[in-house]
Amino acid sequence: MSSPLESPDDDWWGQSINRRESIWLGLAGAWSVLIFGWMSAFTRVGDQNPIGETIRVTASEYQEKMQSYKDAAGDRDGALVPDGTEVFIAAFRFNWDGTPVVLETGTEYDFHLSSYDVQHGFSIRPEHALSKQMNFQVLPGYEWVLPMTFDEPGTYHVICNEYCGNGHRTMHGTIEVVESL
Amino acid sequence: MSANLDVLGLFDNDYDDDGFRTCSVTGLSIHRSAENYVKLFGLTAVVALLVGGIFAFTVAMTRWEFIGLLSPNDFYVHLTLHAWNLLIFWMVFLEIAILYVGGPIVLGRRLPITWAAAAGYLMMLVGALAINFSVFFLSPPDTAPLLTAYAPLQSPPAFYAGVILFIVGAVVAALPFFLTLWQERREFPNRSLPLVAFGAFVTSIIAVEALVGGLITFVVTFLWRVDLIQWMDAAWYRQMYWTIGHGTQQINLAAMVTVWYFLTHVVGGAEVVSEKVSRSAFILYLFFINLGAAHHLLSDPAVSSGWRIWNASYAFYGAAFASMIHAFAIPAGLEAGRRKLGRGGGTFGWLTNAPWSNPVFSATIFSIILFGFLGGVTGVIMGQLQVNMTWHNTFATVGHFHGTVAVGTTLAFMGLVFFVVRTMFQRRLSFPRLASFQPYFYAGSMGIVVLMMMYLGILYGLPRRTAEVVRNIPGTDFSLVAASPLFMILGPFAILAILAGTVFLVVAVASLLVGDRVTGPEDNADLVPDGGEGDGGKPVHAYEMRGTFLICLVFLAVFVVSYVLNWYLLTELWSVGL
Repeated sequence: MSSPLESPDDDWWGQSINRRESIWLGLAGAWSVLIFGWMSAFTRVGDQNPIGETIRVTASEYQEKMQSYKDAAGDRDGALVPDGTEVFIAAFRFNWDGTPVVLETGTEYDFHLSSYDVQHGFSIRPEHALSKQMNFQVLPGYEWVLPMTFDEPGTYHVICNEYCGNGHRTMHGTIEVVESL
Repeated sequence: MSANLDVLGLFDNDYDDDGFRTCSVTGLSIHRSAENYVKLFGLTAVVALLVGGIFAFTVAMTRWEFIGLLSPNDFYVHLTLHAWNLLIFWMVFLEIAILYVGGPIVLGRRLPITWAAAAGYLMMLVGALAINFSVFFLSPPDTAPLLTAYAPLQSPPAFYAGVILFIVGAVVAALPFFLTLWQERREFPNRSLPLVAFGAFVTSIIAVEALVGGLITFVVTFLWRVDLIQWMDAAWYRQMYWTIGHGTQQINLAAMVTVWYFLTHVVGGAEVVSEKVSRSAFILYLFFINLGAAHHLLSDPAVSSGWRIWNASYAFYGAAFASMIHAFAIPAGLEAGRRKLGRGGGTFGWLTNAPWSNPVFSATIFSIILFGFLGGVTGVIMGQLQVNMTWHNTFATVGHFHGTVAVGTTLAFMGLVFFVVRTMFQRRLSFPRLASFQPYFYAGSMGIVVLMMMYLGILYGLPRRTAEVVRNIPGTDFSLVAASPLFMILGPFAILAILAGTVFLVVAVASLLVGDRVTGPEDNADLVPDGGEGDGGKPVHAYEMRGTFLICLVFLAVFVVSYVLNWYLLTELWSVGL
């Protein structure tokens, strides 16, 4: 009787392991190593990685950056058209500064994400395919520079998915992606 | 304690002159001091389940925007109280009880320094009350903390103080457990702990790590909230908070696995097929499980990708490997144990002829299956650095942790409460048919809820923690209304799941208050596994485990398919990142 409520026999370390349990250990171990390897390799060969440069920044510094970005940007039906490939987005209670913005497919943009006040969540999806969505945490004090290249034109909707106060649910911005600017 | 606190005849078992009695079901020698505190912590946990369950109803009926019960302001308050009462108070009060079972009761010892158990209990209770009341009556500029209280959002000072008190209380309440093990060690220096005590010991170490991390987090945040320090950094807070935020869930995991070994043995006849393998898996938990806190920081700007890959994978998936070991070892223990009792029969006979009408057994088995298939698989998948982008802060995350905690841990703990009602409170279950039905009802309805949550998050990018977003986002024509058909499934099944939780409470409370007393061992005879002596002589590892092996292969296949599907969805996205 090997009960989990009693002290095991003195030689418990030396007891044999059932053959099928040994096989399972091998399978589980191999699977563990495989998924680690895939995740690790994908950071080198994959196109979707939540990896970018991070810059320490205060809210007022980021506001200044946003202002000079907006000053340089063009205008298209009330939406910003960035001058170059840098795109600045700032979350604040309860809106997205830097939206609406017009971008084009095929160009690699550097998205700068930060917050003027509390934590927010940058959750983005195109209107025509809601399942194509990705999500990033936005922190005050940190400017995250994430490269992004859109391959489909359309209206991309940004909503906040980190609770930021009672108006949280109203945070919405749009990114218009066109074939070419 | 039984003399002065004998409420409703719940603390009045017969003990011998030394304060011990022998349990007719487990054969364990139980001391009055340990048993009474198990009951006290257990009862308090059930009260927390009731409170959190009420808020489950209001939260679910708000997220189901077809009903739209609460205003947004109220929603965040109710969501906070739902989370704290169920994820923290229901779990941690019961886990202290589990420590007292896994230590003093399994080892046949009295509970030492009962003053620490009492003081810890009082601190936890006052802390829990402070959290509930400060959140329920909060006023601007304070905001509802939800579970995470992410600084620099501010919550009431009494909330932070309540958290600190609760954490300190939990550490103090764990001291008698540690002292028990120390005494056992001094008395029997060469004797290995029983597996359940060993699992409880590992749980307690993981718990102290989590609690100390939480203490640092909340003391600093409290000082910041009352303006004694000016400094606060959102990334620091996140990294520190998740030492307890996720750490408490790893306590649940380790405690739940320990309960699985305990209950499958007692009511199903399971044996330990390999002490070496099962203990090694617990050791892997000890070293690696708390790294899982990094899962919350995978889509964060402030931690490096190397740090994220190492920690989120629990160092090469050491802890996921450990869980897969238990996933084989526990059903294999049941299979081999029942074959040994002569209750085998074919490949799955040991399972089909098991005591399925005993709610302690069925709750345990459903907990094992649903935790693995729903909570465990998704936890590993969403914990991959890149896939996390499609799960982070979506409703799918909520689906994951309802798979782990709401079906997995809660179901195992419900089974444990039924067991304690019968063996420690010595009451027969009222409404026995309803009790037999309850685990099926809860597992089925909550399982559907969990699946819907995951689909909503992955297929529609539905955010968590929001009062409305499906039918209406104020200020824009855009909404996620395409997701509303799935909500028409989720909503009714959420009501059923809450009803199933209510059935649990009704059976447990009615049994305690008006249930027939257990008068002799024959009243609890049905808890003990049936079957004869079997052929006794063979060592347990020599029995067939092919049924378990096939089940595990199915599990691995589901794991692989889910993994591939998630990666497929990810690679369909536009390119992002360096």
